[in-house]
Amino acid sequence: MTAVPLDSFRADLERLRADAEAALIAVVDAAALEAARVEFLGARSGRLKAIQKSLGGLEAADKPAGGKHFNDAKNAITACLEAAQARLAGAAGEAEAAPIDVTLPGATVPLGHFHPLTRTIRRVQEIMGRLGFESVDGPEVEDQWHNFEALAISAEHPARDPLDNFYLAVARGADPLLLRSQTSTVQIRVMENREPPLRIVSLGRVYRPDTADATHYPMFHQVEGLLVEPGTTMAHLKSVLRLFASSFLGGDVRVRCRPSFFPVTEPSGEVDGEWGGRWVEMGGAGMVDPAVLEAVGYDPDAVSGFAFGLGVERIAARRHGVDDIRDFYRNDVRFLRQF
Amino acid sequence: MIISTNWLADYVQVPGTVDELDARLLMSGLNHESTTRIGDDTAVEIEVTSNRPDCLGHIGVAREAAVLYGRPLHVPDPRPLEGAGDASKSIAVEIRSPEICPCYTARVLRGVRVGPSPQWLVDRLATVGMASVNNVVDVTNYVMLECGQPLHAFDLSRIRGGRIIVRRAVEGEPFTAINHKVYTLTERMCVIADAERPVALAGVMGGADTEIGPGTTDVLIESAQFAPLPVRAAARGLVLASPSSYRFERGPDPAMVDWASRRAAALVLELAGGVLERGGVVAGELASAPASITLPAGRVGEVLGVDVAALRQEAVLTGLGFVGEPAAGSQLRRWRAPTWRRDCWRDIDLVEEIARIEGYERVSEDAVIAARPVELSSREVTVRRAGEVLVGAGLCEAMTRSVVTEDFAATASPWGDTPPIVIAPPLVRGADRLRRSLLPSLLEARGGNVAVGVDDADLFEIARAYLARPTAVENAASPVEEPLLVSFVVGGDFARAKGLADGVCAGLGIDRDGGTRLVYRPLLLDPFARGRAAEILLERRGEPAVRIGVVGEVSKAATGRFGLGAAVAAAELRLDRLEFTASLERRLVKPIDFPAMQRDVNLVVAESVPWGDVVDAIRSAAGEVLEDCRLVQVWQDAERLGAGRKSLVVTLALRSGAGTLSGEEAGRVVDAVVAECGRRVNAVLRG
Repeated sequence: MTAVPLDSFRADLERLRADAEAALIAVVDAAALEAARVEFLGARSGRLKAIQKSLGGLEAADKPAGGKHFNDAKNAITACLEAAQARLAGAAGEAEAAPIDVTLPGATVPLGHFHPLTRTIRRVQEIMGRLGFESVDGPEVEDQWHNFEALAISAEHPARDPLDNFYLAVARGADPLLLRSQTSTVQIRVMENREPPLRIVSLGRVYRPDTADATHYPMFHQVEGLLVEPGTTMAHLKSVLRLFASSFLGGDVRVRCRPSFFPVTEPSGEVDGEWGGRWVEMGGAGMVDPAVLEAVGYDPDAVSGFAFGLGVERIAARRHGVDDIRDFYRNDVRFLRQF
Repeated sequence: MIISTNWLADYVQVPGTVDELDARLLMSGLNHESTTRIGDDTAVEIEVTSNRPDCLGHIGVAREAAVLYGRPLHVPDPRPLEGAGDASKSIAVEIRSPEICPCYTARVLRGVRVGPSPQWLVDRLATVGMASVNNVVDVTNYVMLECGQPLHAFDLSRIRGGRIIVRRAVEGEPFTAINHKVYTLTERMCVIADAERPVALAGVMGGADTEIGPGTTDVLIESAQFAPLPVRAAARGLVLASPSSYRFERGPDPAMVDWASRRAAALVLELAGGVLERGGVVAGELASAPASITLPAGRVGEVLGVDVAALRQEAVLTGLGFVGEPAAGSQLRRWRAPTWRRDCWRDIDLVEEIARIEGYERVSEDAVIAARPVELSSREVTVRRAGEVLVGAGLCEAMTRSVVTEDFAATASPWGDTPPIVIAPPLVRGADRLRRSLLPSLLEARGGNVAVGVDDADLFEIARAYLARPTAVENAASPVEEPLLVSFVVGGDFARAKGLADGVCAGLGIDRDGGTRLVYRPLLLDPFARGRAAEILLERRGEPAVRIGVVGEVSKAATGRFGLGAAVAAAELRLDRLEFTASLERRLVKPIDFPAMQRDVNLVVAESVPWGDVVDAIRSAAGEVLEDCRLVQVWQDAERLGAGRKSLVVTLALRSGAGTLSGEEAGRVVDAVVAECGRRVNAVLRG
């Protein structure tokens, strides 16, 4: 018996493989599938079995290569068979369900929403966090020292007028208490308890007796940043403000700082951002007044710092196109669900 | 403050357009509000910060412009011609309360012809928004708007007894002002009186009886210093704010008291004729002690991060009116502040002056900010996690007022029974009590949504409540405790609200750590329905149980009161008492890969037995292999179970880390569970 040439063996395998693939792709029912299985992979008289017999006729040196070709072909045909089985099984399942109207509504998932003011505060916290500022919190009921005196607001200052503050009917001894009119109170509390270097953001509700209208509400939110480190200059302040504004407003935003007056800072400035071609007041800023550093027991010759404050309602209103800040407190879910 | 550009040009000539001037003033601290063309004049409205009373007059603004543009400033030096008569014989001035009026001056003019003002004066006043009254009154207003020192002119013939007395008002004293309204004064206010009665409310408004009228011939011109507080007390207390009170509240330049008096006398002579009596009558002393300030050479660069040349620093300060003084050592320079800049007394104040005139633009915005590590506080972590759970469950975050009306405040607080704290003034009309719970506000917010046809407003809020501490602990840090709360109001029943409360606690890590456990106990508390509410207690290993929340169905009465319509449930949790969870260590409990066994148990117990007792018994009997214990069904059937009995169908999921449980092992656990339930709650297994 002459040896079977490897090429011819291989050609037989390729033909078988092509025939099997064509046949298996075409099967439409279980009977045809079974017939194809018997024809190609049948254990006794399948065509693959027949070729397997001729494997023995190869030259001894060709046998390893021949065996590999045989196994590849067998695996490929088996995979085709399995794919055909899966296809027929799937078709059988689908056939039982009626087709659906895919435009019918899906099952509703209740979507909750954070308040737009919370979202704005979080965004500020997040940006300031990247700049190394830690969020801090403190009481809303405050004493004269933290709300005024430590902040260099003297007894004669108009900000202390009883009509300009919400005073409580309870007091601590002779010290009248009030709802805080700014979150700088928290900065004082932190400075009293910690040594520099310090980078903090205080945030929360503050209260001032304003008649409620489209741009005023007697209760509102502030975010105030404070940095106290040796060698801090106004250049650090302006740099942080610019980084903040470009992160918050996005892109290559222009920011300007113009002189203003606040008791707690000196020099002081009003910070404007260019928004839609117009300058919009974002908040106040300045170098921490040495008197404030002294009030909390810091040495103004050793450390300096800067502070800035933002009105949350104002920037949230601008951001979302809210033209009446009272809407933030109406709690109409048709409003809340839009954020 | 409104500036007339024609008027400004009397003191300084600035090149360029009005818009350029506006921009320079804006960038040096006088915020620009508006620019309006009025005839051949321009009105520029600027915002003057409270530390700059000097800019509440044209001369002050002109000084700023002169420094900004490097132009000279011309300030007139009025020298009115004195004639016959001696002012001190016409009027005596006595200050009884020097603490509220350090200095008072009077000048007397006789034979004045009161009449209309000339057109130039009418026009200038019109530009700055002030109506012309007559030539004498207009002069006092003009001089105030020129130099910032308010003046008042009296009809001398109506001053009784030839005396001016400056004193505190007597409590309840009546006063008829120029507007012919009668005001009741308090002793916090200051009046100018004659021998018999008040003739002016000091620094605020003159009296009707002594005002300058067409028949006036003899005029007394008052120029004085009044302390800010009594002026504010009168202006605010009587709602009588005037351009004069506005300036006195901020403290005008003391050196202008005499200047303004002379300036007004000269102008009255020019416009209304008459004779100025010799001398001014002066009582008291001008409080003016200009500060002497040392400015170290490197100080400006130290604060600004950019240097300003020494010569330039000197030019700016000199232009603003600071006077350089020789000082010891070349590294120091001393400056005496001008009388109109009482806001400047430290080196930092001089640095600010130099910075704002140089322009903040000169300060770089490219400084390097070194990185620092930041962590969220445990409070912040707790607040965020609680909010995330509720938002994830489909609730919207609300923000309601911290201050509520008396009837809201009367709703019981789960957190203490001290009465609500009253504030003044009210936050909004009628709302003058600090809230002790967020629930009434949230119920109101839900009712507001129902009123506009939205009946599914499921709301939560995270905010503080305010509790007066009982007097027993008054020496605590503050007499007010501010618990941080999360509250929510949802449509549905007790189970929904409880599920959300459990969800928040689970989200915070309660029940995950073996050392903490929640216990629910029945609670009777407004606004919850009787028998449909619970208090939530937290048990921690080794600590007494503490109330961390309340949950329940809202009563019919409250549903009606708040206009809620359908059934509503609510809860309130103390986040401040849950803050510790932020530091709980999260340690992995490895999931077991061996299969779980499910066993259903049908236990019959007395109706009064709470599920909590049953589940405690099951847990203690089943031990570690109990993975889950779910109540599948509760049913009652007097015929099949007996009256007063209920059936609890419970599915136990059992799984052991040691290996696959056999049927026998599972059976032993179930037997132990049934036995323990029989022992603890008299449960009987229903076959």
